[in-house]
Amino acid sequence: MIVKTQHAKFDRALKLQSGAVLEPPITLAYETYGTLNADRSNAILILHALSGDAHVAGRHGPDDKKPGWWDEAVGPGRAFDTDRYFFICSNIIGGCQGSTGPSSLNPKTGNPYGLTFPVLTIADMVEAQRLLLDHLGIETLLSLVGGSMGGMQVLQWTISYPKSVRSAIVLAATAQVSPQSIAFNEVARQAIYADPKWKRGDYSDGEAPNDGLSVARMIGHITYLSDTSMREKFGRRLQERQKYGFDFATEFAVESYLKHQGDHFTRRFDANSFLYITKAIDYFDLSLGRASLAEAFRDVTARFLVVSYSSDWLYPPEQSEELVRALLQNGIDVTYVEIRSDYGHDGFLLEVDRLSGLSRDFLARVAAAKPL
Amino acid sequence: MPKSERLDFDTIVGFVTEGARVLDMGCGDGTLLERLAREKKASVRGVELSEDNVRACIGRGLSVRHGNIEEGLADYRDGAFDFVILSQTLAYLDAPARVVKEMLRVGGAAIISFDNAGHWRRRCRALRGGGMGQSLLSGEPRERAITIPQFNRFTREIGARVRQTVYLTGQSPIHRLRRLRATAAVYVISK
Repeated sequence: MIVKTQHAKFDRALKLQSGAVLEPPITLAYETYGTLNADRSNAILILHALSGDAHVAGRHGPDDKKPGWWDEAVGPGRAFDTDRYFFICSNIIGGCQGSTGPSSLNPKTGNPYGLTFPVLTIADMVEAQRLLLDHLGIETLLSLVGGSMGGMQVLQWTISYPKSVRSAIVLAATAQVSPQSIAFNEVARQAIYADPKWKRGDYSDGEAPNDGLSVARMIGHITYLSDTSMREKFGRRLQERQKYGFDFATEFAVESYLKHQGDHFTRRFDANSFLYITKAIDYFDLSLGRASLAEAFRDVTARFLVVSYSSDWLYPPEQSEELVRALLQNGIDVTYVEIRSDYGHDGFLLEVDRLSGLSRDFLARVAAAKPL
Repeated sequence: MPKSERLDFDTIVGFVTEGARVLDMGCGDGTLLERLAREKKASVRGVELSEDNVRACIGRGLSVRHGNIEEGLADYRDGAFDFVILSQTLAYLDAPARVVKEMLRVGGAAIISFDNAGHWRRRCRALRGGGMGQSLLSGEPRERAITIPQFNRFTREIGARVRQTVYLTGQSPIHRLRRLRATAAVYVISK
């Protein structure tokens, strides 16, 4: 499957949850897979997580070595079947992979925004996606699917646009980010702030704060694995040595893995975007300003498939269960599964086989039901 | 015996009214719920502890919540269902009285089926040292055996009314010597 990233440009301002305004032009990078049917009823929006982008599946050309981030799950005949449904995924605003974010040019100054970019929320990301769907002429979504921060966007969509959403698939997510998750995000941000190259976000004409960003990513990766998966994957193995070196080189396999993940991340990600996106995650709390979490879903009519992963300690099953309870209290049609998995939070990306049957059966049922 | 061949299902399907809203507590692989959706046009939901069974239910197009039935009822609104079903599961509950009272809060009626521990063959086993188990209001979970008089007493103790009963032996309902001859019983109770 050869795909091309497209760009939609909007010449209107976006009013943000904070009260600030994101000035035009606003660009959203997006990709689509499959074919929109004649009555435009088979569209499914995919929402990516913190480090994801619009490139979900397929390759950008015949020589492209690496497929999109969820290629195993999205394609012809796959769990998310491009022969049956039309999939859309856009890079979030605030991101750094084609959509407007802190590394974009501020139209007022002609320089990159840096920290003058307004602070965003998950709801703001959803508003930008709504612009894209209007641009594509899609009124109603058959479904939305997302894991982790992608799942938060799914939940926000069902609340922001209850009449436009027929179903929602929420993987390894939460309706209210916990203090422990905020704590990890803050330590990651502090790693960036502490890098002298960060210069309060104003680094566009010099070197990027890659040391800080790399540590930030390493912290993130710890939270994506589980104790069991680390034991299985690395144990106490040394990477390129037979015995301890009694020095401070990278020697344990787990250290080497984290360092590799950190370094690799700096080649494709912007440190300021990392700050903005983690902040948006920290602010995510659907019960904010409401008497209860259940009240948030009062007008929601979408059917839900909620999936948690048993060893996920970043957004653990208890948090999905809390979400399920809030949905049930509104009489919403919800199916909930906790998948037994040792992969930790990463389970939502790695346990594709075990998700496939669930999502395929769920979507088939939604597609067969009468539209709203 | 595979759950799909269970004898009490015919009786339960018979009790459920056309187009009813039904919750099955411990719905297994969804066989009963699928029948209720198809034969009674019921609007059905399930709760099930096993991941494999939950998958089977989703495969049948059912909405199921993966979880423990003893914790699962609190989130449903009063009267959210016309019938709440507990088939062949009562004997395994830690707190049967609490669960059944909750069933009667969220449902207009509860349909409960259980194997009759008072059946003559099981009585013989008990005489040889198998034990008859405890009252439903107390006793060790997992091993509790239920007899028809015990269940009748239980419904009185929790203030429920018995609406309908069917006693089964093999495939067919029976009417005489039911305490001894029934292998299973299906009750419809309400507040």
